[in-house]
Amino acid sequence: MRSKFFNRFNFILLISILVSAFSFTQAAGQSDYPPGYYDIIAVALVIIVMIAFLGLIYFESRKDRELKQGESLWDKVKYMLTRSTPIEKEADILLEHEYDGIRELDNRIPPWFNGLFYFTILFGIYYLLNYHVFHTGKLQYEEYEEEMKLAAMQKAELIESGAMINEETVTMLTDAASLSAGKEIFKKNCVACHLDDGGGLVGPNLTDEYWIHGGGIKNVFKTIKYGVPAKGMIRWETQLSPRQIQEVASYVLSLQGTTPANPKAPEGEKWEEPAADNSGSSSM
Amino acid sequence: MELEKFSYDNGIVRKFALATVLWGFIGMLVGVLIATQLFMPALNFDISFLTFGRIRPLHTNAVIFAFVGNAIFTGVYYSLQRLCKARMFNDLLSNIHFWGWQLIIVSAAITLPLGLTTSKEYAELEWPIDIAIAVVWIIFGINMFGTIFKRREKHMYVAIWFYIATWVTITVLHVVNSLELPASFMKSYPIYAGVQDALVQWWYGHNAVAFFLTTPVLGLMYYFLPKAANRPIYSYRLSILHFWALIFIYIWAGPHHLLYSALPDWAQSLGTVFSIMLIAPSWGGMLNGLLTLRGAWDRVREDPILKFMVVAVTAYGMSTFEGPMLSLKNVNAIAHFTDWIISHVHIGALGWNGMLAFGMLYWLVPKLYRTDLYSKKLANLHFWIATLGIVFYASSMYWAGIAQSLMWKQFDASGVLQYPNFLETVLQIIPMYMIRMFGGTLYLTGVVIMMYNLVKTMKQGSFLAEEAAEAPPMDKKPDRFVKGLRHRWLEGKAAVFTVLAFVAILVGTLVEFVPMFMVKSNIPTIASVKPYTPLELQGRDIYIREGCNNCHSQLIRPFRSETERYGEYSKAGEFVYDHPFLWGSKRTGPDLHRVGGKYPNLWHYLHMENPRSMSPGSIMPSYPWLLTNDLDISTTPTKINVMRTLGVPYPDGYEEIATDELMAQAEQIAEDLQNAGIPAEPNKEIIALIAYLQRLGTDIKASDLSENK
Repeated sequence: MRSKFFNRFNFILLISILVSAFSFTQAAGQSDYPPGYYDIIAVALVIIVMIAFLGLIYFESRKDRELKQGESLWDKVKYMLTRSTPIEKEADILLEHEYDGIRELDNRIPPWFNGLFYFTILFGIYYLLNYHVFHTGKLQYEEYEEEMKLAAMQKAELIESGAMINEETVTMLTDAASLSAGKEIFKKNCVACHLDDGGGLVGPNLTDEYWIHGGGIKNVFKTIKYGVPAKGMIRWETQLSPRQIQEVASYVLSLQGTTPANPKAPEGEKWEEPAADNSGSSSM
Repeated sequence: MELEKFSYDNGIVRKFALATVLWGFIGMLVGVLIATQLFMPALNFDISFLTFGRIRPLHTNAVIFAFVGNAIFTGVYYSLQRLCKARMFNDLLSNIHFWGWQLIIVSAAITLPLGLTTSKEYAELEWPIDIAIAVVWIIFGINMFGTIFKRREKHMYVAIWFYIATWVTITVLHVVNSLELPASFMKSYPIYAGVQDALVQWWYGHNAVAFFLTTPVLGLMYYFLPKAANRPIYSYRLSILHFWALIFIYIWAGPHHLLYSALPDWAQSLGTVFSIMLIAPSWGGMLNGLLTLRGAWDRVREDPILKFMVVAVTAYGMSTFEGPMLSLKNVNAIAHFTDWIISHVHIGALGWNGMLAFGMLYWLVPKLYRTDLYSKKLANLHFWIATLGIVFYASSMYWAGIAQSLMWKQFDASGVLQYPNFLETVLQIIPMYMIRMFGGTLYLTGVVIMMYNLVKTMKQGSFLAEEAAEAPPMDKKPDRFVKGLRHRWLEGKAAVFTVLAFVAILVGTLVEFVPMFMVKSNIPTIASVKPYTPLELQGRDIYIREGCNNCHSQLIRPFRSETERYGEYSKAGEFVYDHPFLWGSKRTGPDLHRVGGKYPNLWHYLHMENPRSMSPGSIMPSYPWLLTNDLDISTTPTKINVMRTLGVPYPDGYEEIATDELMAQAEQIAEDLQNAGIPAEPNKEIIALIAYLQRLGTDIKASDLSENK
């Protein structure tokens, strides 16, 4: 009974390995998978192989009968892999020494075990040749440069297609949806320093007409985007999308004239909108 | 031949066994406490001694050196006497070893919560305790080799090979990694800096796992498993092959803890390939363990002792396969710094070490007390609860690790990080932290059940302190050195064997260390990197004292997702004055290598007082005492002198003006805080910590910005 179960068990394993391998090669051609996708597939593959090996060992350890002629192919393969002396014959390979009652058998080292060991050694040699002799594999800084180049290309495309807003093209948003989106971003990222109502704590008061780095949508967008590291304003470019910066900048400007509970004293210069600036309402 | 009469010392075995159970309980209890703090930070009651950063090292040290350590000594003192057919070399040494080791554990339990730490993982204890460890370890060595040399059994059984390799390697590891220069009674700086310190530390850290949690425990397995199963070892040849392969290869694998770091590529690659080559030698131990059970599987179903051992050996096989997989670059890129690693080590600790120790204790205690186990049922219950605990623990941590790692790496369509706020990725896995705590509690409950069972067993039996034995004296007739029996010959030569084991572990050590210390190009210097100011140096020591490195890395890997989040990746030349290095190994909080200048002083001040005021939902402890504690500036000149001795280029005589410079910088920061309405005083610890944090990673910032644009 058990032997049949293991037959089927191993068959299923084989199939799943093949299927995973197939899906892996398929996936390699696609690009819209999240990062780490291939790695997870690889890990899954490896786990499957590991389970297969474990199954083999467990089965081997439970084997308590002799190999007979006319047994299934699997039994023969298994014997070939393990070369284990059957338990009834173990007296033949029982070593004579004894330590506090512990005896030792002289079973052959399983061929599959040796195979595994040789394979890992070959892998090690291949790995070192690949990265350090033939330089066919990319070391960490080459990988990084490639990754960054790709990202820069994507960014350039976005800017060209107009999908990316910057401090030159940004306009004030006044529609309720954008402002409430901006409010959410503000709550999540800004209130620690500027307080819930924009009254200021670590950072300056955002509700008055005084601005340290200039008022108006373009300046506020720029200040948020690049930050002012010397004064502790974080550079948000890497954390918020341009659209999000536009939304939160618009929200901040919508706070003008409100009265916070505990306003910080004005800092910077009084801002007056240049006459030429016609940043009114606009949609994307 | 005439039989000699002697007795086995069971008293020392009992002492170590009791210590194993006691420290196991305490170590795991602390584990559950810190696991709970991760979703309930208030559970440290704002007491500095109970903060995560200080007691996480207590947990790891207690479990590794107190629980597993005492379990190893229990097994070694029991099995060595019987395998050598000789009483321990010297009873006094046995007792000095026992009490010395317990004293070291107690001193660790006192000093770590006090914040007296070197910050180096699993080697946190300060220099006086390091010396005590070395002394006690050497006493253990004398006692062990003394017993081996007066043995009556000519050949050494495989368990003893593992004990010898353990002793030799741990001695080398401990001494080399603990080379440090004292600055005061409980403060020292390692002689290594930055990248070199990192390499030495992880050579040590990895091989502490290899030679403290693996080889001695394999030795125990080779004795207690065939004893409990009453079956012969499956393959003597396999023992020889996997023993030598294991100790030779293991020592090389340390750099796999530093993949994608500032460590040179060649060293990283060595770490990877030797980790992969470790699979088969590690599995050799699992094979010999599991296959020894051939013909005894019917008893596994009934005998809880065998059950514990089967799970232990299986867990060993799983984690020694997982380890090499984690050493592959692409897997490591996902798993490193996450809870995946926590899961991995707990498969080893709870599964392999814990379950084997429990199996051994259930077998040993009835033997020592000449009785049967009080309750097989309770032992079975313990087994199932512990196994279930491991499942909850491991599955939740795998999930947490992978989920968080993918969130760290995810970019949205417009090319910015999808989850730019680190805290968001933490809050996502809080439920997993709760499940982990539940799993750990189950496991601890199992230990309590075992304590009850063992005490009851002791009560119903009578302890046999001196076990009479007899054996013929050692057969002096030399083995013939013939082909095919060479190893058999070696087993009769303890001294030669020890020297060969030493050579085996020295090869990898030297190949990695010598170029790292001798070849300058391995650490390209950066001209703009300068030593810390006295105030920053003091702040750094506070960072170390509070154990910030337990949750925050200072190592930005060269990935777009990390340079976008944290800033330019970390370079080897930036760490040349870092005695010790503080790269960390886990990001429970964000990386701090480029935190300098990112936030204003006021932000740090309020954040340290209560992190939740600046980051709602944060699980970081509050550090209110930093705001009120006076900074001890009397140590400044000594610290400057020690640093200069270690090679940090402070000018001659600088120690005399260091205190004045420190005060001047402190007053600047205090003034900045006062301007923001905070009544901060310059002589408080918080000022020094802020100074250090604001300095972090800024030495190359200017050039970095121009590079990026």
